[in-house]
Amino acid sequence: MRRLRPFILIILILAAWETAARSGLWSPLLFPSLERIGKELWLFVSRSDGWWQTWVSLYRTFGGFALAAIAGVALGMLMGRSALVAELLDPLFSGTYAVPKLALFPIFIFLFGLGSLSKVALIFLECLYPMTIITYHGAKSVNPVLIWSAQNMGASRLRTLARVVFPAMLPYVFAALRVALPVALIVAIITEMISSVDGLGYLVSYSLSSLKTDRMLAIVVVISALGLALDHALVALRNRLVYWERLDTFYV
Amino acid sequence: MKRTIALVAGLFFATLAAAQEPPMIRFGRGFAAEEQMWLMSVRKDLTPNQDKKYRLNQILFQANPQRFQAYLAGELDAGTAPGLSVIFARAQGIDMKVVASICQEASGHFSTTYMVKDDSPIKSAKDLKGGTIGVVEYKTATDLWARAGIINAGLAPDTDVKVFALPFPAMGEAVRSGKINAGTFVEPFYSQQMAQGGLRKLFTAREAVGYDHELLDIWFGEKFLKQHPDVVRAFLADYVAVTKYYLANTDQAKRDLSKAGFVRTPVDIYVKNADWKRDPNGRLDVESLKKLAAFMHDKLQWLDKPVNVDAMVDQSYLPR
Repeated sequence: MRRLRPFILIILILAAWETAARSGLWSPLLFPSLERIGKELWLFVSRSDGWWQTWVSLYRTFGGFALAAIAGVALGMLMGRSALVAELLDPLFSGTYAVPKLALFPIFIFLFGLGSLSKVALIFLECLYPMTIITYHGAKSVNPVLIWSAQNMGASRLRTLARVVFPAMLPYVFAALRVALPVALIVAIITEMISSVDGLGYLVSYSLSSLKTDRMLAIVVVISALGLALDHALVALRNRLVYWERLDTFYV
Repeated sequence: MKRTIALVAGLFFATLAAAQEPPMIRFGRGFAAEEQMWLMSVRKDLTPNQDKKYRLNQILFQANPQRFQAYLAGELDAGTAPGLSVIFARAQGIDMKVVASICQEASGHFSTTYMVKDDSPIKSAKDLKGGTIGVVEYKTATDLWARAGIINAGLAPDTDVKVFALPFPAMGEAVRSGKINAGTFVEPFYSQQMAQGGLRKLFTAREAVGYDHELLDIWFGEKFLKQHPDVVRAFLADYVAVTKYYLANTDQAKRDLSKAGFVRTPVDIYVKNADWKRDPNGRLDVESLKKLAAFMHDKLQWLDKPVNVDAMVDQSYLPR
């Protein structure tokens, strides 16, 4: 029974959806039944094109996410350990965090073109903020006793960063990665919906234009499954690397 | 006691007054080429039936799918939409009918234009091979015309020519910067770009399809048509009157619309813009809708099965 607990709410939502779809109160074009969505889902997974479009979205997601992870961890660590860098960058990050970077997408299109590069660049920018800010707080909160001990044992500044600060802030880095990864996927899908000839976002937009709500929802299910799978993979990796502080649950 | 009686009487008369109010038409409108419709709200003096036989509430929508979703959710009774969007909607089983024409893509009038850079080596649609073309949204009229132009040039859309979705305001800069090879231009963007220079026509929507055809129409939900046929007749009588006024007094009508905030283009540019063909009696070119439906089914594979256009159109509500 305990194993089933995480699925109870999902099952209830699906049951409520099916009840609404079969009630006849709304058009099946607005509320398609689970059966119709399931058929579209089967069509999607049974065709190679569906997998190709999924790969295109994932490639963009990972491209922007990976770049943001590298840059964000480096920047956050520098800000956390250097007052000068923090003084320089903190106002910039804090002041522009709330700006919806998606509004910059038309400029990115003109800078980087209509292809993948403009999308990857926007994903990078959106993910850079949570990566940097969370890592910065992680780097700041490293126990000073650990650093003093390393220094007393003659460790250089670089070695202290690599062998003491970085491992100590790893839980924060993974927290940042878990915040940034769904953001990356969302931005990939939205930018593909705005302007693209491929990817899952393009398929969502195309299905909506065709008034195929069932097909659109089938793709939404695929996106949800991808998000869940990626987060599970990240948590598994975290539990392997941060073995001294394992996560019992996925979302607490 | 007296207060209670006065309250009950007040409620009674208020309910009576509300019951006597003419039915409201909740109308989903767009943001381009619908001048006559907008004028119905701006110049009520031109619509003698308004607020007597019907009330009109125009609600702005950015795209057609959202308009149809609002209709399915019971939030709209009628609206504007390109003929091909209604064909899509009918193919999905949405119970709506086209009752009047707003404007058409026709020779001798403004027709949506696809343009390339002046110094581009692309001289005809055939030269687009390996290139890109911008449309405003997939499975819209702009997408259909682009694909028609590509197909009629012997090329395959998506394979030989990539079709990208871009908003109208971004189209000019996208062509100039070489991000796309050709873009779609409607008024007022067409006039703005022509004034700026550096772009030239590749083909028009009329040329791409090869015949005059419906661009934008008025649709009503079948339930509303059955429940309020006289209301629809009164509405369309006003609509035709306003269309005739618009055609006879275009300059003044455009100034009124601009003043009312329906159009954001500077008024001096707006009044000079070329205009689409508008039938003074709101009559539809049904044959062109049939040809479009056949093209969507046979050539573009946009429809799973053919759509019966005759069953989709009902012009009997228009003034005789």
